[in-house]
Amino acid sequence: MVFNSVHFVVFFAAVYALYRLLPHRGQNWLLLVASYYFYASWDWRFLGLLLASTVVDFFCGRYIAAREAPRQRKAALILSLAFNLSMLGFFKYFNFFADNLHALFGVCGFRVDFFTLRVLLPIGISFYTFITMSYVIDVYRRTIEPARDLVEFGVFVAYFPHLVAGPILRASLLLVQVSKPRIIMSSQVAEGLWLILYGFFKKMFVADNLAPLVNATFAGSAHPGGLEVVLAVLAFAFQIYGDFSGYSDIARGTSKLLGIELNLNFRFPYFAATPQEFWANWHMSLSAWLRDYLFLPLSYAFSKRLDGVGWLGLRDDFWIYASATMITMLLGGLWHGAAWTFVLWGAYQGLLLVVFKVATGGRRKRRRRSHPVVVGLGIAGMFALTCYGWLLFRAESVAQIASMTKAIFTGFDPNMVALTTMGLPLVGYGAPLALLQAIEWKTDNLDVVFRWPAPLRWAVAGVLAYLIVLFGNFEGSKFIYFQF
Amino acid sequence: MRFRSAFTSKWVVIAAILACQFVAFEVGLRLAGGSEAAPEFQRLFVTDPRIGHRLRPGVQTRFRTSEYETTIAVNRQGVRDEEIGPKAPNERRIVVLGDSLVMAAQVELNQTFCKLLEARLNAARPGGAIHYRVINAGVQGYGPVEKYLFYRYVARTFDPDLVLIGLYPGNDVTQARASAYRLAGTGAGTGTGTGASTTAPVGESVGVWARRIVRRSMVLQVIRLRVLTLLDHFGRAPEVYAPLRAYLQQPPPEVDEGLAVVRECVSRITAVALDQHATTAVLLFPTRFQVDDNEFRYQQKGVAEAGQILLRDGATERFKTTLADLKLPLLDVLPALRDASRGGPVYFTGTAHFTSRGHAAIAEALGAFLDSAGIVPATEGTR
Repeated sequence: MVFNSVHFVVFFAAVYALYRLLPHRGQNWLLLVASYYFYASWDWRFLGLLLASTVVDFFCGRYIAAREAPRQRKAALILSLAFNLSMLGFFKYFNFFADNLHALFGVCGFRVDFFTLRVLLPIGISFYTFITMSYVIDVYRRTIEPARDLVEFGVFVAYFPHLVAGPILRASLLLVQVSKPRIIMSSQVAEGLWLILYGFFKKMFVADNLAPLVNATFAGSAHPGGLEVVLAVLAFAFQIYGDFSGYSDIARGTSKLLGIELNLNFRFPYFAATPQEFWANWHMSLSAWLRDYLFLPLSYAFSKRLDGVGWLGLRDDFWIYASATMITMLLGGLWHGAAWTFVLWGAYQGLLLVVFKVATGGRRKRRRRSHPVVVGLGIAGMFALTCYGWLLFRAESVAQIASMTKAIFTGFDPNMVALTTMGLPLVGYGAPLALLQAIEWKTDNLDVVFRWPAPLRWAVAGVLAYLIVLFGNFEGSKFIYFQF
Repeated sequence: MRFRSAFTSKWVVIAAILACQFVAFEVGLRLAGGSEAAPEFQRLFVTDPRIGHRLRPGVQTRFRTSEYETTIAVNRQGVRDEEIGPKAPNERRIVVLGDSLVMAAQVELNQTFCKLLEARLNAARPGGAIHYRVINAGVQGYGPVEKYLFYRYVARTFDPDLVLIGLYPGNDVTQARASAYRLAGTGAGTGTGTGASTTAPVGESVGVWARRIVRRSMVLQVIRLRVLTLLDHFGRAPEVYAPLRAYLQQPPPEVDEGLAVVRECVSRITAVALDQHATTAVLLFPTRFQVDDNEFRYQQKGVAEAGQILLRDGATERFKTTLADLKLPLLDVLPALRDASRGGPVYFTGTAHFTSRGHAAIAEALGAFLDSAGIVPATEGTR
């Protein structure tokens, strides 16, 4: 069941109508049942995994909180992490590692027949395992209290607006809201409806209309020239942003209608001037998760080993940062999918972060006070680097990355056919979103349109609605991040 | 103007904004053109109580999209062709029944396979003893039922020697099933009676009036299509797009029902043709994914996600099997289009219709087929 389907509209309308009638406890039961139905509508067989993850982490959290002995607490933490990581590893990475080991042995001259399982990827597994892991770690660190009620904890894990593609929520934000009675204010409803409309615009008008351009260029049989590659990558930059931030907006909007606030996941990332700034504004919930549960612990561990070590004229704090960043981004890349293209993308993003750290010496510039030309050049340069990253991300294989990179630098042949068949749709579908984003960025306010005077706000909403109805893609295609 | 409450004034302002935007989008779409929902295109059609709709006799329009620009002229007899006068003694007529693939609004008339076939037949038999006329009797939106009714009520007056029935497995099954009710009362006879009632009930006349309003607005046309798409989600087997269902390895029962209607229509056309001493043959057009590998992979993936298996030529084979016992000459133009696609696109990108290359390939294959099947009406004796 995708958000952009009749099935979801009917499902949500029914849930919402009932939700408004029930008391707090009843609302939580309804959210739990609805969330399990939502998940089961993808594939009911994987519901067991979600239930197992919920039960194991609920009791691990309770056990950790109730014990004082460090060994007992650590044992429960390890049990929880091992359970979640082995589940994720098996369902998401088994095929990848089996295939690569098979190939590696083949290169070494050994013929080893691994038993291969065509393991299906349970939808949303990367998201809900990260959610439950962060919960247990936070309980272990004593930064939060454990959940007292299994139903409330079940809602926290399976809450349908964010279940299959985030945002990756922390217990400190969601569990607190689930456990308290909710008051739904009219301003919250209006804001929720605006976010839903904006999300559908991003998904159905921008992302789904640009998808055919991207798919045709990245199809295995296509041999695009440099200009086609550049246009397809630009289209993909809009597509993935429209798709993923559109999903997040719909998730936040539907959640607001239910009286629950979800955290922000995107903050005009394409207006970033450095990789650090990009990652602070792109998939913010994942960035924060990786920072808190991977990067900082790794930095701490490396700081013990590399204390006082300076190489190549660079101080120890640089090497600590570089090592922790590269490992975090490589794993972050792999989190997106079991393929070498994602690993390459992670390595590329890690390198960008490290190189910019060296170049800027870690200084934070006050960009908004710089000359507009300097700001513009910085943003354009970073956008170009981000787009090359999207080529690595979207490519079907490493060989395709090589051939497309070669095409950009050696086969750039401007032609009217590509400009009209790809360039015009790119401008037509991308420009309205770019304009809205530019206004939001300029005012440094994501809700600026919603804060405009009512007639102006309604006019913008009307235009978005017309664009969706007249030109939107109504095929109900899945969101890209569902595969992760 | 004073409103009773802030609530009312709010909704009046919203309605005014939406109305202004409606006008702006309507103007924008009309200026941009490029859609079959455009009034320029829609004015080609007129409601017909017997058939549903048909081409408006005598109308001419210019149709432009980002991929093509064509002139479409409908003659006084109501087909996209030159005027059809009395049949000369040395004239042999081939009437091609079909839908948008035959009508071919995407190419000029002289580039359609009908006219290319006509030129080929006349060039192959020089001397002027026999003159061939291939009449394009295709109408956009026709399924097998409408093709039969159009032949029965309109095209039979063209006095054909050969009737070619163009079938499109892509959506003929769905359309045949949806229009089957129109067959009731028309029988297998060959009379020229009106068949269906010419007097529309009140509900229907309101519907006709509403359709007329909708047809005049591009914005409303698109909204209508969106509503139909959404309603389709509530139908049976919503997970597979309706035109693909005839290609499934395990098709739903509605496919067999639709095929039975297709067979009935072809049988009825043959009966009417026989009464006119005309021969009948069938043309099977493939859908785009049967020719385009990338398109097939894309559709196959979508169908697989719905737990089904897409057979690339499944519907074509089902049509052949269904029509086999009628023992009619049948040409599947798929191989010809696959061959031709190696040299360039045979379908347009934004529509599932043939390019001029596709039409040329079909004309060539059709000419060879008519020759090999020995059904080119050559002399008086062949009738």
